[in-house]
Amino acid sequence: MELTKDLTLLPDISKDKLKDIYKEMWLIRYFDEKVDEFFAKGLIHGTTHLAVGQEASASGACAVLEDRDKITSTHRGHGHCIAKGADVNKMMAELFGRTTGYCKGKGGSMHIADVEKGNLGANGIVGGGIPLAVGSALTSHMKKLNYVTLCFFGDGASNEGSFHEALNLAAVWNLPVVFICENNQYGMSGSVKEMVKVPDIAARADAYGFPGVVADGNDVIEMMNVSHEAVERARNGEGPTLIEAKTYRWKGHSKSDAKKYRTREEEKEWRAKDSINRYKEVLIDATIITEDEAETIRKQAKQAIEDAVEFAKAGPMPTKEDLLTDVYA
Amino acid sequence: MAKEVFMPKLSSTMEVGTLLQWFKEEGESVEIGEPLFEIMTDKINIEVESYEEGTLLKKYYQLDDEIPVNTVIAYIGEESEAVPKDPPVGNDQEGSMEERESSSTTEATETESNVKESQSNKVRATPSARRVARENEISLHSIQGSGPKGRIQEQDVAEMVSQTETKLSTPLAEKIAKDKGINLHNVQGTGSRNKITKADVIGHDTASSDEPERIQLKGLRKAVAAKMLESARSIPHVTLTTDVDMTKAMEMRQALLPIIEEQTGYRLSYTEIIMKTTAHVLGSHPYVNASLIENEIILNKSVHLGLAVAVENGLIVPSIQHAEAKGLAELTVMSKTLGKKARNNQLTPEEMSGSTFTISNLGMYAIDGFTPIINPPETAILGVGRIVRKPVAIDNAMEIRPMMVLSLSFDHRAIDGAPAAAFLTELKECLESPYGLLV
Amino acid sequence: MRELTYLEAVREAMSQEMRENDDVFILGEDIGVYGGAFGVTRGMIEEFGPERVRNTPISESGIAGAAVGSALTGMRPILELQFSDFITIALDQIVNQAAKLRYMYGGKGKVPMVLRTPSGSGTGAAAQHSQSLEAWVAHIPGLKVVQPSTAYDVKGLLKAAIDDDNPVIFYEHKLLYKTKSEVPVESYSIPLGQADIKREGTDVTIVATAIMVHRALEAAEELEKDGISAEVIDPRTLVPLDEETIVKSVSKTGRAVVVHEAVKRGGYGGEIASMIAESEAFDYMDAPIRRLGGVAAPIPYNPELEKSAVPQVPDIIQAVKDTLNRA
Repeated sequence: MELTKDLTLLPDISKDKLKDIYKEMWLIRYFDEKVDEFFAKGLIHGTTHLAVGQEASASGACAVLEDRDKITSTHRGHGHCIAKGADVNKMMAELFGRTTGYCKGKGGSMHIADVEKGNLGANGIVGGGIPLAVGSALTSHMKKLNYVTLCFFGDGASNEGSFHEALNLAAVWNLPVVFICENNQYGMSGSVKEMVKVPDIAARADAYGFPGVVADGNDVIEMMNVSHEAVERARNGEGPTLIEAKTYRWKGHSKSDAKKYRTREEEKEWRAKDSINRYKEVLIDATIITEDEAETIRKQAKQAIEDAVEFAKAGPMPTKEDLLTDVYA
Repeated sequence: MAKEVFMPKLSSTMEVGTLLQWFKEEGESVEIGEPLFEIMTDKINIEVESYEEGTLLKKYYQLDDEIPVNTVIAYIGEESEAVPKDPPVGNDQEGSMEERESSSTTEATETESNVKESQSNKVRATPSARRVARENEISLHSIQGSGPKGRIQEQDVAEMVSQTETKLSTPLAEKIAKDKGINLHNVQGTGSRNKITKADVIGHDTASSDEPERIQLKGLRKAVAAKMLESARSIPHVTLTTDVDMTKAMEMRQALLPIIEEQTGYRLSYTEIIMKTTAHVLGSHPYVNASLIENEIILNKSVHLGLAVAVENGLIVPSIQHAEAKGLAELTVMSKTLGKKARNNQLTPEEMSGSTFTISNLGMYAIDGFTPIINPPETAILGVGRIVRKPVAIDNAMEIRPMMVLSLSFDHRAIDGAPAAAFLTELKECLESPYGLLV
Repeated sequence: MRELTYLEAVREAMSQEMRENDDVFILGEDIGVYGGAFGVTRGMIEEFGPERVRNTPISESGIAGAAVGSALTGMRPILELQFSDFITIALDQIVNQAAKLRYMYGGKGKVPMVLRTPSGSGTGAAAQHSQSLEAWVAHIPGLKVVQPSTAYDVKGLLKAAIDDDNPVIFYEHKLLYKTKSEVPVESYSIPLGQADIKREGTDVTIVATAIMVHRALEAAEELEKDGISAEVIDPRTLVPLDEETIVKSVSKTGRAVVVHEAVKRGGYGGEIASMIAESEAFDYMDAPIRRLGGVAAPIPYNPELEKSAVPQVPDIIQAVKDTLNRA
């Protein structure tokens, strides 16, 4: 996988925006590293799925969206939320179960949503969000709102019936939706090599009559370029696109994963392809930032997560009175 | 095994109880705590609750029978269990419980094989039937269910309610009506839930017949009769009378009445003023506040004032303990509530015993002086007459004053004329200057 | 007043709402020119066009999800599932998504959708096209569940369901589609959670749903000849349930018979019976509560067997007489 260095492919993206994306990727990294730490210390309960190593697909794809565009996310969704502009304070507060969290402490890691900002929510059901994205695209189409819905899911979800039903439905109705399959090589312990016969999940788009492309999911610039094209197609009424972002999750599936299903060598190989470092080199080569500037940005991101923890801890716990609110509208 | 039901000993002085009514018939089931029979003793009626559960197997006594305490009067046990045909002998009250239990065990063993046939005592009834029974204070045990498996339904209870409502009458009323040949349907009941009482039957009878009425001495009347006779026969009574000018007492009552009414909701009457004064004066005349028991004069430290109350068919004397320590407000509340309880037959044995001096007030009638009979073992009794405006000589002038006669009967065995006269004199003076009570 | 069939009343309610509100649309399999499996949407595509009467692929999960997603983003979809049995394929989207999104998101977002679907037996469609699975969805917090029994009710309840901001599962009974009653021309709403006393009586309360309302009414006619006065209550909505009306009636009559077509075991009748037993009506109960429901077997094909599988009028009469200890 050669790194895309041709920034001219991104005429609409400013230097500032490119720097913001660099910071955002560090935010995603540090958010999940912090969550990992707190889980290990028992400060956060329940379960969580970390996307460390997958920052580029979330940041790259969301970088080309407009505010009115929408996303649907997955159980491994912290990165998608941050990339769509979520406030890490409210995210961390949610993981701490506080009323100041995005879901007032009722959703937790797997259900962070910000419907008004276009984040239609993470989803605890594998493949559960794909038909929702099609429905969101249907609204855009029927009400002529011209927004695009970006639908994240994993390699595992591509074997769900909902994936196939949703892709077909989006195809026959020619809806403005972009399907982004983050192929991180494993559905929990199931290797994609064992669970999918075709070499590329992107090829499944052929069956529904719209384009499928493979992208380097650890190359944020390539992700931006590919997503940009897909989003423009959708916005222009040319229908859906399936993007397969090949990437790797550095951590286990969720907590207490011994990772027996893969080798340490394989993990090492993928860590060498760290998307954040690669992106930094590109930015320095293009004289968009200096090494010192990059370091400052990294530290800012780290501090932002520390601040998020303080914000989260300060939030009040929900009370029993909150138990029955919002069951019905 | 069958369990004996005893005539209970409800007070230290109770020796016999008069059976007033059975609440259960033979063959009916009884639960622990359910009223089983009613007795009269020491002038009060008491419902006796069952200590056993099972079926009422045998009743040995009839209404108005006088039964010594600790006598076996009935048996409760499993259905079809055998019990003695006649009441067990050896029922003297000193007999130990162990003896009685062992004797009944022998009787019961013969019939043990029958026990197995009996079923659980639980009643099968619908929630609605239970509610209606509860509301009408009807025992479900007395009802035959018409539902599946004998389940009692609301209708079954409703029928029982309407039956009892039309025929509700006391056993005594039924007996009298039967004796006199009166149809109870023609008698209007005045008791609770229009229950026909003995008085209703008698009232109905006298209203409709020229025959003289013959009433047997029994119950409270009999108890009062016995006590009066004992007192009149054994105590040498002497009665002193004096006129009391109630002008100041009247003023005081006028002043205190609204205050006490505001405080307690009860109206202060002269009775309480006389009680308060009497209790005060008795403090310095211990022989008048004494009890004479078996050649021994007991000088009581506290004044427990008995208050004679006329009730239907008799006279009872509730007592106010430590009257000397009570203020007029408290005395008012107590005398009113005790009087009401006495008339409603609700006094407890404690409330009817232990008086050291009794006041009998006939002031509501046109009575001046009378000779009250002492309530033994007390040694004196005060009779209170009406207050009437009379001309009296005050400092060589005639004045009209509210006057009242007090009559003190005393037991000459314990008290001589002079100390009795001294007590009555001080009482008179005290009532004429009642503000001295405040000092 | 003019009469409409139940089926026409459903169509009229949808059409009136679609004329009023551009956000309301219908999607489902074969609902276009075919007019739906039972003909409910016949003529609608001609009036509203294929954008708003969206014929879908046979993808119950996909179209249910599309309905949820469009509802979450501002539409008010009506999803028609051809047979209520097929809800099994769509259940993830209904149970895990539609019912929970608002709660999981801390009160942000809402899912105003109606899932309309025909249920019940009596058409010879056998085991996979005849079930009554309403208890499943009634169990899920976040869903509302409606079971109309008359043309009048179905029109007013469907409007209320479409107007509701929550996902509503709306069961139409196949055998009721052709039944008629007076239905006003104008649009009207029957609040969800308001039971209807279909017949007043004093001796026993029959709580019946959907087709069983009609069987209960027929039974009540028969019972009247024997001097038994039966009150028939149609809850109309299972969630929310109008407990007050049922409790009040049972407190009056002292007896309750609960009838539904769904399999008795685990059926919603158990919920109604328990609710009665827990309520203040308990002290007025003069007989055990009786439940009538389908036998615990799949719906069979043979017409006589099919009838035996679910309560019929004589079963209701017998149950009522049992509670009254009448032969």
